[in-house]
This record gives sequence, C-alpha cells and structure tokens, in this order.
Amino acid sequence: MKKIYLHPLPVRIWHWINAIGFIILIITGAQIRFVDSMGLMSFETAVQIHSWLGFILLANYFIWLLYYLLSGKLFKIYVPPFWRPVEFIKNSIRQAKYYGYGIMVGDKNPHHPTPENKFNPMQQISYLMIMALLIPLQIITGLILWDPELFGSLAKLIGGIQIATLIHTALWIFFSAFIIVHFYLATLGHTPMAHIKAMFTGYEEEHE
Amino acid sequence: MRGILICGVIILCFLLSYFIPVKEAVSDDVKSCLRCHGMKSFQKKLENGETLSLYIDGAKFEKSVHGSLDCSSCHPDITLKNHPRPKKIADKRVYTKEFSKNCLTCHPQDALMKPKMHGQIVKKGEVLCAECHGSHYIDSMKDWKKKASFNEYCISCHKFNISKTLPSKEKISLKVNEDEIKKSVHGKFQCLVCHSDFSKVNHPVYDYKNKAEYRTKMTAICTKCHTDKELQKNPAHYALTKTASCIECHGYHGVKSAKVVKSLPENQYCLKCHSSSIVMKMKNGETLSVQVKENDILSSVHKKLKCTDCHKEFSRSEHPIRTFDSIKDYRTKAKDICNNCHQDAVKKYDISIHAEALKKGNQQSPDCVKCHDYHKVTYITKDKMASSELCIKCHSDSGKAFKESVHQQAIIQGKQNAPNCASCHNSHDVLPTNIAKLGDSCIKCHKDAKSTHTKWLWNPPLRLTTFVDAHFNSASCASCHTKAEKAIYLTLFDRANKKPLTNSEVAKIFGIDIKGVKAKIDYNNDETVQQDELWKFMSTVKAKSKANLSGRIDVLNPNDAHKIESKEKSIKDCSYCHSSGAQFKSKLEINQEGTKPIKLELDRKALNSAYAIPNIKDFYVLGLTKIKILDILFFVALLGGIAVPVGHITLRILTAPIRRKRKGGK
Repeated sequence: MKKIYLHPLPVRIWHWINAIGFIILIITGAQIRFVDSMGLMSFETAVQIHSWLGFILLANYFIWLLYYLLSGKLFKIYVPPFWRPVEFIKNSIRQAKYYGYGIMVGDKNPHHPTPENKFNPMQQISYLMIMALLIPLQIITGLILWDPELFGSLAKLIGGIQIATLIHTALWIFFSAFIIVHFYLATLGHTPMAHIKAMFTGYEEEHE
Repeated sequence: MRGILICGVIILCFLLSYFIPVKEAVSDDVKSCLRCHGMKSFQKKLENGETLSLYIDGAKFEKSVHGSLDCSSCHPDITLKNHPRPKKIADKRVYTKEFSKNCLTCHPQDALMKPKMHGQIVKKGEVLCAECHGSHYIDSMKDWKKKASFNEYCISCHKFNISKTLPSKEKISLKVNEDEIKKSVHGKFQCLVCHSDFSKVNHPVYDYKNKAEYRTKMTAICTKCHTDKELQKNPAHYALTKTASCIECHGYHGVKSAKVVKSLPENQYCLKCHSSSIVMKMKNGETLSVQVKENDILSSVHKKLKCTDCHKEFSRSEHPIRTFDSIKDYRTKAKDICNNCHQDAVKKYDISIHAEALKKGNQQSPDCVKCHDYHKVTYITKDKMASSELCIKCHSDSGKAFKESVHQQAIIQGKQNAPNCASCHNSHDVLPTNIAKLGDSCIKCHKDAKSTHTKWLWNPPLRLTTFVDAHFNSASCASCHTKAEKAIYLTLFDRANKKPLTNSEVAKIFGIDIKGVKAKIDYNNDETVQQDELWKFMSTVKAKSKANLSGRIDVLNPNDAHKIESKEKSIKDCSYCHSSGAQFKSKLEINQEGTKPIKLELDRKALNSAYAIPNIKDFYVLGLTKIKILDILFFVALLGGIAVPVGHITLRILTAPIRRKRKGGK
C-alpha cells in the first residue's frame, strides 16, 4: 500500500471550511428564498448567517488563491494541458468512460493522483471552472446583493441587479446539485471512505 | 279684574261723552263712536309692544272724502250695541291689512286694477290701501294730485319698502330715501327731472330681465345731461363708463360728485367705485367681481401698498379698458402682477403641478390669488395649522389622512419643527409626488434617519449606511411608517436620459395619440395589465427607446402616505417585504408631463416571470419579486443531483457480478 501526501494542510483547512460553509450557505440561501414555506430559522437569522459565511468564504477563497499562487501549484494542478488538447480530450473521454462503464466492469481508474497532478481531466476542467469562474461570480453577485448600493457600479457592469440575482440563484442551484454529486464521487475511492479520509489526513492510499 | 276695568272705561266714556261737544255734521252713528274715540288719550297696546292710537279727529274726518260715511261703513263688524271685546292685534301692519280689505267693499278690485301700475300694486298687495291713502282722513285723489309736489307725490308710495322681482328672480328695492336725495348733488331735483317718462297720470312699468339690464338701461337717464362728449373729456372716466354703469359708482339717488373723489388719497379714489359690488364680464360670459373691500386690504400684508403699485397701468388719469377671454385668462395674467415683486415664487410656481393643471383648464387648480387671495393678500407660513387648512380645502382626503399622523399631533402640540403640507410638498413648486422625491423631504427634518436605521437595518459583518440607502431608494418612508396597504410600482423609465419615459414619448413611439397609450398596454381592456401584455408593450417600446421598468415600494393609496405613525409602530420585520407571500398589489406607472402619472393595475405574476429579468433590470426585492421558475429549477437540480448517485449505485449493484467474474478470472 503506497501513501501519497496529496492534500497539504492549508488545502485541507480551506476545503473543510469551504465544505461546511457551502452547505450552510445553500441551506440559509434556501431559507431566505423560501421564507414563507421553510421554518428552519427566521429570515433575519438566515440573512445574518448567510452574510457572515459569505464573507468567511470570501476570505477563504483568497487563502486558497494565495496558497496556490505562492506554492506555484495553481497552474500545474488546476489548468488542463490546453497545449495538448487532443491528449486532454482523449484522457477526459477515457475518464468519463471509466465512471460510466469501466467502474462497473472492474476496470482500473485511469488516473493516478500525484501531488503535482492531483485531478483527473474531468476534475481538472470542472474545478478550474468552479474556482476560477463560478466561485468568483458567486462572490461578486453575492456582494451586489449584500449591498446593492455600495456595489451599484458592479451591478451596472453585470447588467443590473436582476442579472446579478439570476446568476447568484442559478449558481446556488448548480452548487446544490454539484455538492451532492461531489459527495458521491468522493466515495468512489478504493474504499468508500478512502478519499474522505485523505481529505482529513492528507494521505491518499493507493494500491500497488 | 280686566273685565271690570274695560267696563269701567266704557261707562266712563259714556258719561264723559255728554260733556264733549260733537259737531252736528257727522251722523249720530259717528257721534256715538266719537264719544270714546274722540278722546286723544284713547289708545291700545298691541301684542308686539306698539301703541295704536284709537283717537279720531271728528272735524278732520268730516272734511275727508269719507266724511259723510258712518263708521260702520268701513267697520261693518262694529256697532254701538255690538262693540267687539278688546281685539288681539299682533302689530300695526296686521291691523292695517285687515281694515284695508274693507276698502274693497266700495272700491271693487276691477276698478282699482285699471291704472296699470296701481293694478300691479293692488294685485301684489305689497302696499296696503291705507298705507298710501291713509285711513280716516282720506283726501280726494284729484285734490291731492293737484296739490302735491312731484316729490311728495312719488315719495308717498316709494317711501315704503316696496320692491320689484325681476324675471331673473333678482329683487330691486323701489324704496327711495328722500333725505339721501336732498344731501346729494341732485338734491334740488324733482323726481321727474330724471324719471321724465313718469307723471302724475303716467306710471310706466319696466320689464327688465335682470339687474344688469336694469342698471345699463337706467344709466341712459344720466347721459341725457352728462353727454358722451362731456364724459370723453376725462379719458379715465370715459374708460370707466365702458366697464361699469354710472350708478355703480355714483349711486342711484344719493348721487356723489366725482370732483370730491379726485382729491382723495389714491386708494380711496379707487375704492370710491370699487367698494361697490361691481363685476367684470369676460368674453365667454363669465363674470368676476371687481369689488374690493377696504378692510381686506387693510388686514393684508399689502396694506402699505397703493393700488397702482400692483395695478401699474391704472392711475387717476388712466383707466384702460381691458378685455379677457375668461376668468382663466384673467388669472393667468393676474400672476404677472405678482411677478413684478415675487419673481422667485412665480418661477417656482410655473413648474408646479398646480400651474400645469391650471394650464390644462382645471379652474380649481390654484394660482397666486387662489391661495393668497386677490386683495386680502395673506402671508402663509406662521400658523402651520392654518397653512395646512388652505391645502385641505382642495385636498380634503389627504387632509383627513394627515389628521391621523404623528405630524399633525406635533402641530397640535405646537412643536416648532412640526411639518405641514408645504414642508414636504413645497409651497410654490409643488411637484407630482413621483417626481418630487418626497423621501428627501423626510430626510430634511429627520437628518439622522440613516444612522438610526443603520442600528437595525444592516447586513453583517459591516454596518454601512449604503445598505440603508439601498432601502431608502426603493421604498418610500411611508411604506414602513404607515400601516396602509402596500404596492409595488413599476415606472417606465428611460435609461438613456435617466428620466421617466412620458406618456407623450410613448405615444410617439407607437405613432398614436396620447389617449391611445393605455390601449397599447392593456389591449384586452380588462383594466389589468397581464404579464404577456406588459412584455409585448415593453418589447415595442424597447425597440425604439432604451426603456426599462424601474420599481419602488409604496403605499397603494397615495393619501395613506400622510398617515405617518410613531416610529415605535413602524415595520421592522424584514420578511414583511422579503417574502413571495407578501400581499402587495402592483401598479404600472407611466409619467405625464407636469401632472400625476397614469396608473394601471398590474398582475403580480408579471414581476415573478422570467421576462422580468430583461425588463426590470434595476429593481429586485429579495423574495418578493423572485423569479418563480428558478425555484422549480432548484428542485429539479436537487432531484438530478440525487438521481446521479442513485442511478450510478444501482448500475454498480447490477454490474457487481461482472466485476466479481473478472476478479475471479484473474
């Protein structure tokens, strides 16, 4: 059994803060939106939690960004090899085939994570999208909704508060679905708890 | 006791009658009556307190035309044997009326009706026979006519309170005060000098339709002596003769000399005529009183001004003849007079909703004089309650609502900073409420409003006044500070010039008349704008203009905005607005130049439709205006998110034998 140190401590801290924060944000977001049919907490409490967490995750995002920028791993880990597009596409299809078919028939996962190449091509493209586009968008639109007056010019830039709300809500819908799938995919290690454990210890076990 | 007293008096009369010499010429019947009624002190107290003398001068009676008649000829119900018990008589006039009826037994009405004027008097019964002809000492008409001077002759009837009712139902008094004539410049004139068509035998009847016609026609009498040529010598006076008749300034009988007036101080000079109830006629037939009450001027803020300070084109030598189309036309020009001194106020007024409404023909809309009056010019600031009352005269509903507010309470308590109507709506530049930014008026007094709201209206982790601003900019103060029903107002807005898109601009886009704009929105004509109607309308407008719908939350009935309650009672519950369950109505507004906007009922669904995203770009109230389809998408995504692992696990379970087989095969 080989152990690979896949998740450095800052990344693990960032991940778990992010994970808990995301879930609570999704739930409080739902409470704010469905105030007249959901009774988890009062509207005011939901808004307070949502706003506080919003800023915590905003800071958390910058911790992540800073860590990856300073460690120089951002480009290696998150950016797909766009200079080898054919190979990347082939790898992606292979990975998709594994999840859709290979896993059923007992094929081996074509991707072997290393600290330098942590994500499989599908993970890579989706995490890049999420971290570089969707989360910043959610942060920006969140800020617009948090104080439409202070961030009025941002709202104008984006096409009005209505568009900002649309983006924020659409991403809330996406993240809600994503987090379920993400949690399921996390159980697809060699044991259901393998990836989850790794996210606590930092060490991913790999069969020889 | 009273009976004994009366019997005593009668017995005493009989006894005394033997000592009173009675002329032989009168009949025995008369003699018998005069035994009592010949006593000078014989009188009766009437019910109204008047004293009626019962004394008859036998000698004088004998000489009268009725001298040979018995008393019973005119008093048929009284004989010596049957003298009625003391009668109850209300007053002298009632008594005269009762006995004047007896005249008709000998002088049949037919005969009395023959002379036209006399006939009219008899018919109407305005003057009683005895009032003109007397009762016991009646002269022969022929003798009296010969003897009487013209004045005496005319005044004999015209001294009474007689009047004439014209077909217009106006009443003209025909009473003439002889003293007034004597004191006037015409003091020595006989009636017939002016009323030359009258004589002792001729009393024409004029059939004027109304007082105005009467005045104009009677003025002709004056011009017989005071010819047009003579009047033209004084241009000011001549001009006056074209706008008012002689008698309006100079009076009817107590004619005043114009020469005396000239030496008066200016205001007195003008008031000599303008204190009378004179009117000015407009081209369209409307009449405007040009009467000025001296007291009004003296109690006004203009008390130190001379008439010509305002009415510059007039003087003792100039009285131009002005003609106005209508009162509206007159009032528009009256504003120019105020503008001579009060340019700032007039400039502000000119942009007001009041000026626009007046221009559009709303006669009720105020101009300078409607609020400040014509001559009783008032300064409207000090008494806050009185100032409000002035607005309430027209805006009674708003006034009623305001009475329920804390602001009215503050006025009643005499608080110095209590607001009245003008504090929020301005006094001269009163604007339509949707343009006036009334919220700013609240901030004018409630300067710390932002910081006090920041205490509770903030979003963690920072307390920022900008968050308060976001709320102030999209909800009126009244929407939280009253209990009134609320509505979401969407206003058609031109993003290019940052102004509301007006009715006429919309009409131009559609190439139609402004009256047709409503039909372009509510094309099914059911008085409610449905979402499809709104979006169809918006897409046409947007094709030609950078239009959008801006929104705000306000009270449904604008009057309710006046019912501001104490801050303890204000709405602080965020979910009051931020919930899709909030029972808010919605309205669509299209502005109109200088007047209140057109307001149309809007189906609330339109705000929650996906079409709202491109059309209401700048207005979004969390919860209240949320796009419903996104809620459905959320649940679909959740289901999808669950379906992926469930499906995948199922497939993995189903394919487990294959994996086992492959593992075994190895």
